[in-house]
Amino acid sequence: MTEKEQLDILEEWLRLHKGLIFKVVRAYTLTDHDDLFQEIIIQIWRSIPTFRQESSVTTWLYRIALNTAIKWTRKEKKHAAAETIDNIQHLLEENMTQIDERLDWLYGEIYKLDEIDRSVTLLLLEGFTSKEMSAMLGISESNVGVKINRIKKLLITKSKNYDYHGI
Amino acid sequence: MITMEFDEMKKIWDEQNNRPLYAIDEKALHNHIHSKMNVILRFTNISEWGLIIIYLGTGIALLRLNPVNAGANVFLWLEAVWMFITVVYLVVGHIRRIKANRRFDRSIHGDLNHAIFLAGYQMRLSQFVGWNLLPMGAIMISGGWESGKFLKVSAVILVSYALAVYVISKGYNANKRRKRELQSLKEKLEA
Repeated sequence: MTEKEQLDILEEWLRLHKGLIFKVVRAYTLTDHDDLFQEIIIQIWRSIPTFRQESSVTTWLYRIALNTAIKWTRKEKKHAAAETIDNIQHLLEENMTQIDERLDWLYGEIYKLDEIDRSVTLLLLEGFTSKEMSAMLGISESNVGVKINRIKKLLITKSKNYDYHGI
Repeated sequence: MITMEFDEMKKIWDEQNNRPLYAIDEKALHNHIHSKMNVILRFTNISEWGLIIIYLGTGIALLRLNPVNAGANVFLWLEAVWMFITVVYLVVGHIRRIKANRRFDRSIHGDLNHAIFLAGYQMRLSQFVGWNLLPMGAIMISGGWESGKFLKVSAVILVSYALAVYVISKGYNANKRRKRELQSLKEKLEA
């Protein structure tokens, strides 16, 4: 594969699936959106020559993005700098138009989960099956099932304490 | 207070697909790229001048310690000459780089291309320094052979060479990573 072909594929994937990467970024970090976004793009770029079309592009991208985010989170925890939301100048600005505040709440709750549960929740909300999640995350299908049940119960319980003011 | 069922959460989740989640803050992006470019530029200047001073200083020291007369070690003299040639090469490279800098404007893409160019230049500089150790080491070993201290000189050269290659490869890899990150950012912007 030539570099030009690789670049064309990356451009096409980003054009069609950029939103997917943003979702993972938002679920995995509160402050370093740019760094994680960039890291995921790099890993996707590297992965292109190994993509064999045995899975859909979306599945492939989720696998890369989630694994990168999990590794990145672990690394960041080790080198946790004293960064706060205030002292970081973001390259990516959140689009504030027509925000359903329940979505912010949902992202907030996902962020509170551990790294693997975050991935399971994202994939669950995206409509992936337990089998697909198991293959992507490298954990058994039954384990995925247990996690799904626990996460669903947890989110529903937490929603009881959530004060929703409407859009 | 409400209780949301999971299906409701899924619905809220799916709604975000209909609107862009993020927009790029161009000013912040430009500042980010510009500061990255400045870091690489500063690092490049320090590396260039550092190498020029080291090679020039060592060449002069070798000549002073080993004046060209009947009893001089010709290999040490050759080493000094090699170092001066290296200095000339580095100075020419520096001038060409400064001239090339003018190609880049102060836009986001200009700064980004400049930073990528500098990271590539740094990589080539590390490679040059690494390969340049070979002839320098060969001349020094030959000098040791002539003076009857072959083993001692070879051991010192080998250890120094291993250390230098380690340090250079660290710098090379850091610049490679930096260049890749910048290129990926460029691709992201041009997508």
